[in-house]
Amino acid sequence: MKRNLYVLISLIALASMILAACGAKPTEAPVAPVVTEAPVVATEAPVVAYVGEKLEAPDCNYGGTIKSIEAVDEFTVKFTFCGPEPAFIAKVGSVEAYNIYDADYLKEIGGDAVAMNDNPVGTGQYIVQEWVRGDHITLVPNPTYFGKAVDNTTLVLKWNKEAAARLLDLQAGNVDGIAEVTADDLPTIQADSNLKLAPRKINNFLYLGINNTYPPFDNEKVRQAFAMLINKQQIVDDFYAPGSVAATQFVPPGVKPGFTDGFVDTTYDMAKGVEMLKAEKFDFNKEYTLSYAERTRPYFPQPTKIAQAVQAQLAEAGIKVKLSMEEWATYLPATRAGEKELFFLGWSEDYPDATNWYDVFLTGSSPAFGDPFPDIVENIKKAAQSGDPVERQKIYDEVNKLYAQHVPTTVIAHGTVNQAYLASVENVVLGPYNENFGQMKTADGTMRYSQDGEPVSLMCADETDGNSFRACNLIFSKLYKFTTTSIAEPDLAEECVGNADATEWTCTLRQGVVFSNGAKLDANDVVATFSAGMDYNYPLRKGNTGTYQYFKDNFGPKVMNQPPE
Amino acid sequence: MTQFLLRRLLLVLPVLVGILLVTFIITRLVPGDPCYVMLGEHATEASCNDFNARFGLDKSIPEQFVRYALNLLKGEFGNSLKDRRPITTIIGERLPMTIELTVLAVTLSSFFGILLGVISALKRNTIFDTLTMLGANAGVSMPIFWLGLLLAYLFALVLKGTPFQLPPSGRLSAGMSMLPLAKTWGLQDVTGIKAFLLALLSNSAIMNGLLTGNYALTFDALKHLILPSVAVSTVSLAIIARMTRSALIDVLGQDYIRTARAKGLAYALVVRRHALRNALIPIVTIIGIQTGGLLSGAVLTETIFSLPGVGSRMVEAILNRDYPVVQGFAVVIALIFVFTNLIVDASYAYLDPRVRVK
Repeated sequence: MKRNLYVLISLIALASMILAACGAKPTEAPVAPVVTEAPVVATEAPVVAYVGEKLEAPDCNYGGTIKSIEAVDEFTVKFTFCGPEPAFIAKVGSVEAYNIYDADYLKEIGGDAVAMNDNPVGTGQYIVQEWVRGDHITLVPNPTYFGKAVDNTTLVLKWNKEAAARLLDLQAGNVDGIAEVTADDLPTIQADSNLKLAPRKINNFLYLGINNTYPPFDNEKVRQAFAMLINKQQIVDDFYAPGSVAATQFVPPGVKPGFTDGFVDTTYDMAKGVEMLKAEKFDFNKEYTLSYAERTRPYFPQPTKIAQAVQAQLAEAGIKVKLSMEEWATYLPATRAGEKELFFLGWSEDYPDATNWYDVFLTGSSPAFGDPFPDIVENIKKAAQSGDPVERQKIYDEVNKLYAQHVPTTVIAHGTVNQAYLASVENVVLGPYNENFGQMKTADGTMRYSQDGEPVSLMCADETDGNSFRACNLIFSKLYKFTTTSIAEPDLAEECVGNADATEWTCTLRQGVVFSNGAKLDANDVVATFSAGMDYNYPLRKGNTGTYQYFKDNFGPKVMNQPPE
Repeated sequence: MTQFLLRRLLLVLPVLVGILLVTFIITRLVPGDPCYVMLGEHATEASCNDFNARFGLDKSIPEQFVRYALNLLKGEFGNSLKDRRPITTIIGERLPMTIELTVLAVTLSSFFGILLGVISALKRNTIFDTLTMLGANAGVSMPIFWLGLLLAYLFALVLKGTPFQLPPSGRLSAGMSMLPLAKTWGLQDVTGIKAFLLALLSNSAIMNGLLTGNYALTFDALKHLILPSVAVSTVSLAIIARMTRSALIDVLGQDYIRTARAKGLAYALVVRRHALRNALIPIVTIIGIQTGGLLSGAVLTETIFSLPGVGSRMVEAILNRDYPVVQGFAVVIALIFVFTNLIVDASYAYLDPRVRVK
């Protein structure tokens, strides 16, 4: 009897736990929106003057580049920077992190990405009809879209992690287009008359990182010799998709100013490389570790095969290299912490400007490559401050020469990314960052596209992944946008005009733009959006992870009111 | 019997505590940083320090565990680090798909496995027996990844345009809508266990279609599940067939079978009533284990066929170092195994009167 009672009590406890768990609420309580400034007054009430909001740093010592953002009037926003910002338009037009949100809606949802996912409110071509978690997002045309109406009735975004399965889906006619075609699948697509390839030219690179704090790589001559021993063209021919090119210098040819025409930093020369190593008393008996992560990227299409090829090329020179394949979750932090002597990493451009290359990698922002080179850093900073393209190119020419001398890395290749579509899909045009889904035509009016992962959230201000960006690009708009070229076109802004030294940018907004919830776009929406990204204490800065990394990357490295580490 | 079941249920508590502790410690000890996975190439040390502080990952492991345990006592599994959605919501989304796949796969493998095993045992050492066992060996040895792609290729491409064409991946066809039942039935205010059960029903495409009269949805969902369930059931089918064969052969050699035959009972009746029922105990055990395994996620099958189930989400969470999701799913999987074994134990009593008597 006693035992039965004990059993009964335990069962009740267990059942209560399960019941409580099933009714669990999110751990984090939603942040209550706090209105810190005067409320926005509707434009329909002419008797009340428009109250523009302003985000302003007390000074420029906080570690970021934005001094203030001010809604000058209903349709004018002024960005003031702590120094020249010649790449402003390229930055705000590129990644979807700079989507503009309705300020009132941000307040309504407390700036929370989870709430935004349930009901995204934007000014883009499409609105979300349904997000079936784990399977697809169905988008339908936004009736209030200010631009050209889309040419299809429905756009379905699906995802499948496996490239072979995506291709099968395309061949079966279950989808009309797929992302990230692998090099292995290219012949199949080329041989199938029902399919067509759509290459995307995006500036990227794969590099061999060399940490100059590890002997013998602290010796410049050794690094120079290593650069000579890698047959980049062979690697591109063997492992990259058509259209990819072997690197000749630090930045890809499309980065102008930046790329120096006709300049080749290192030429493949096995004999000379070995001779240089011998002259430097390089230890050929020692085994060196080359690390990489088995994570396919546009710039790294076949990680293991490419790593093995480099290993083989170095072996030809008598250098013993051990490959170390790691998981991304451990590999990246270790690399960034400077724990790898030789490693593979890469980069795909966020915006078309040289600062997105030189400043990210060669200014010593992480100890991955060891100690930075003062002459390189000084020139890069000088170039970033200049608004004159000719002057900037001259400085970058010098940087490219210094890069060839110091060899902080060896850039190997610039990969071309391929997508594939059914041959019947009309008007497929890929820009460097986006697809023109709105203008693609299918027989039944529904465009179905399969990418390699589910969007993390639809508040892309706080995301960094391409799958989220692709969805956000369809639902939201930015001040500027990129379509088919690397030249930014006005989108929500009619224009943004910089002053002579590019420290002030004044943007005039397009009038009559309406969010999908019926709210009208005005300058305070821009201020609120950027405040969430740039002000650590802004009450609506919640997002998804709360990192807002692109704001730090492009206008940081720190944001206003960021607590000291 | 009731006492037996209650005792088994009671054992769930220490099992759960053990699972929680072990999962928590293992996930924290595995090297890697969730922030670097989520931010990719853009991750910086400063951003990741901020990220870890925001999610309490900068605290010591014991401190994190105490906080986690206290939240659990309040019924909070926590939120995913990746998208900050509640773990219970994610489980409510993922479990129905896995249950659908498991039910179909187990039905297929049990029915055909037992059928083939019985015929093979009764026609021992004939060509049929040899072919069946060859097929069973092939089924056990075949990698699901390869079989899945092969099936998808065959039914999606080779048979394209025929009535046998089947979708190679995904849960639903493009354009197929699955409305939340809470919204359809005006039950948005429901909370707790009711809300969870409603979410389970709502996120089961098959049930959702049946309950809302949207039979096209049910049919579409079933069509998408045929290839995955065939792929995932192959191994179970082969094991069940082999087990049925050997168990039945063993029972058919027993004295009581000869006695039953000597009494003049028809052979079919002897096999069905006396032999098969006695041979079922090991088969039910195997089916139970397979069911538990499938319910805890058919990772490869879900990946190949792009099905949003428990297994693929669990693996994704492990790779992303999404600790709360790993912990939450580990508990659910443990519970699934415990309850599946409980049902198997209960079925022994039904099949074998001696168990009831004991």
